[in-house]
Amino acid sequence: MTNEEIKRRPSNPWYEAGRRLLKNRIGLLGIAFIGILVFIAIFAPLIAPYDPLAQNIMGRYKAPSSEHLLGTDEMGRDILSRIIYGSRISLQVGLFSVSIALVTGVFLGLLAGYYGGFWDMLIMRIMDIMLAFPAILLAIAIVAILGPQLRNAMLAIGIINIPRFARIVRSSAISIKESEYILAAKMMGASDVRIIFFHLLPNAMAPLIVQTTLSIATAILEAAALSFLGLGAQPPTPEWGAMLTDARSSLQQAPWVATFPGLAIIFGVLGFNLLGDGLRDALDPKMKNV
Amino acid sequence: MNYVKKLSLLLVVALVVVLFSFSVYAQEYGGTFVFGRGGDSVGLDPIQVTDGESFKVTQQVYDTVVMFKPGTTEVIPGLAKDWEVSEDGKTWTFHLREGVEFHDGNPVNAEAIKWNFERWGYEDHPYHIGGEFTYYAYMFQDFPGVIKEVNAVDEYTVEFVLENPQGPFLNNLAMVSFGIASPEAVKKWGEDYFKHPVGSGPFKFVEWKQGDRVVLEANEDYWDGRPYLDKVIFRSIPDNGARYMELRSGSIDMMDYINPEDVQSVEENDDLDLILRPSFNVGYFAMHQDFEPFDNVLVRKAFAHAINKEALIGAFYAGLAEPAKNPLPPSIWGYNDEIEDYPYDLEKAKELLAEAGYPDGFEFDFYYMPVPRPYFPQPKMIAQAVQYYLSEIGVTANLLSYDWGTYLDKYYDDQFQTYILGWTGDNGDPDNFLYVLLDQTQNNCGYESEELHEILIEAQKSVDKEERVALYEEAQEIIHEDVPWVPIAHSTPPLVKKTMVKNYIPNPTSTEKLHRVWLDD
Repeated sequence: MTNEEIKRRPSNPWYEAGRRLLKNRIGLLGIAFIGILVFIAIFAPLIAPYDPLAQNIMGRYKAPSSEHLLGTDEMGRDILSRIIYGSRISLQVGLFSVSIALVTGVFLGLLAGYYGGFWDMLIMRIMDIMLAFPAILLAIAIVAILGPQLRNAMLAIGIINIPRFARIVRSSAISIKESEYILAAKMMGASDVRIIFFHLLPNAMAPLIVQTTLSIATAILEAAALSFLGLGAQPPTPEWGAMLTDARSSLQQAPWVATFPGLAIIFGVLGFNLLGDGLRDALDPKMKNV
Repeated sequence: MNYVKKLSLLLVVALVVVLFSFSVYAQEYGGTFVFGRGGDSVGLDPIQVTDGESFKVTQQVYDTVVMFKPGTTEVIPGLAKDWEVSEDGKTWTFHLREGVEFHDGNPVNAEAIKWNFERWGYEDHPYHIGGEFTYYAYMFQDFPGVIKEVNAVDEYTVEFVLENPQGPFLNNLAMVSFGIASPEAVKKWGEDYFKHPVGSGPFKFVEWKQGDRVVLEANEDYWDGRPYLDKVIFRSIPDNGARYMELRSGSIDMMDYINPEDVQSVEENDDLDLILRPSFNVGYFAMHQDFEPFDNVLVRKAFAHAINKEALIGAFYAGLAEPAKNPLPPSIWGYNDEIEDYPYDLEKAKELLAEAGYPDGFEFDFYYMPVPRPYFPQPKMIAQAVQYYLSEIGVTANLLSYDWGTYLDKYYDDQFQTYILGWTGDNGDPDNFLYVLLDQTQNNCGYESEELHEILIEAQKSVDKEERVALYEEAQEIIHEDVPWVPIAHSTPPLVKKTMVKNYIPNPTSTEKLHRVWLDD
């Protein structure tokens, strides 16, 4: 009876990883944070007590009260409603810019890793150059060229994250492309495309998932930073970083205007970071059966 | 006897008062005065710039032929100690002070003044380089415009011959933009002169760290007496709140553009004084008629009805402003008070938009400046409020901004569909508002009106004030009907200083010389 059970249990590594993640408290906390964030973002119009853009310039800098739970900002807008709508923007920035980085980075990394030689040299030197700049500086330069808009900021953040993904995929491609089962596939006549996408890519999946999760966290932070510098979301968009900028000059007489968007950023970034850490532990092959 | 007693008592009291005030007001030499401001200078060659932050500095470094009495726009002697004008109003003769020197040791004489005017006015002059010489064309209509010739009659006599009489001519010469530069320094630096200003003013240029500070030191040999201060530093601190914190912590001695929310705490603080600059400006929202649909006057009128000026002033100016209905501020002669402003009325605005063919609104770009200005102390917030008002009549404004120098370049390049900007009068004459800002040969909002142009030119040529008043009143009616702008506010810009800063007299033209300012340590 017991033996049979053990036999039937699938030895799928993803299943194992999922099981380990669910046992990891930190990872679970991350999932909970992200779950709350996603819930708020989806149901923003139902949750938000006010229109996030509705101004009342005669009621500026009102302290938190039962009417405005988190107070009002420099234009008399409800801060709670703006933070709630801001979650949509932050998630959007995270997903969109990381998708750009992921797709481009994976493609370039596979190309460099599998073919090697000239392509490897060309692609990875470009990646090295990009990594040589501080990420935020590169992003500022890109936005300066494209013009200050949220869309361009997302694009810039996507671009600066490409090298990380390319490196991960390339190193795993190099380590397994000479292995026997790849040789076997080649001898059976599998095309390069088939080998790249059915054999190399799945092997790089674990580190990619971790990197993606952590990158969403940094992307949210970078978008907030760009908006803080006036290069991201433009007024009146309720972006958390942009809200911080506008709150700066009233730090002394209305500290709540800066505090709450700041906390929102911490919450969002922390959620993805915790999940990333949890996933790293769960997907580590050396941690098997722990 | 009683009478004598009373008289002697009075004398004693008077003596005590005089002695006492002497001890309180005994000016002290020395000290460094740090002024915190909202933005850096664009350039330090006054003829090449139009922004107040540049003029704040050049006012100290340069002298003008005549100048304004402190706190007013009344003309008093400057480099010229006296002057006369011919019967026909076309020839002006100025007698210069003798022995005045530029900071580089060269003499300020008739030749130097002639050289400056020729550099500014003649496009083929070898040193007509380094910029557009914008203010020259503003005030003298063209290159060389009204000024036919400038003659050095002798070492200390200079004569201006005009094409035709010009009403504001003397006031124009007092403007900070016509600061007399050392010809040798201009020749030495060429295109880079704007970074190495040399004039004859009360303070000498020491260094300019762009984006951070300009440092000046006292000119020991200033003709109006050595300045009390040893050094003046202009620091740029763009954020109003941060600047105020620096003032309270003591790292700057004075600042402009305070947040309205902070005004009360200044009044409660014994170490700080709030002083008001006389109101002499206009802040406006402009709609560029080269772009559709702003070529349609109905759209422009709709916008005029959609903006609640009273609310803006209550929220963003601490009440230190009044709503504007004309481009001219009410403190200037020629102001037309008969004009009735377009009232705040959203229904009317929507009707006008529908009549213009835009019942469902439209989308456009709206630019705001990145730095606080006297007429817009919180430009980003004001722009957002205007954006919101316009959203209520169904039009969508995309807010955009550039750094201050680029912003002005793009404005002069006619690249903005709509924008906010403003103006502080430079010389106390209505010409310096209406002609400079709205004449069809000058404006940057695509506004063309032959009728207005003729009136403004006629008013320039006239030297009869009553006639000029009538012409300017008529001009304001035309502008009111054509709505090239929505004038928003005339502000009374507040400045905050430490109480130890003495004798700071703000001039309505927004800059003042600091050689009579002293510190009471």
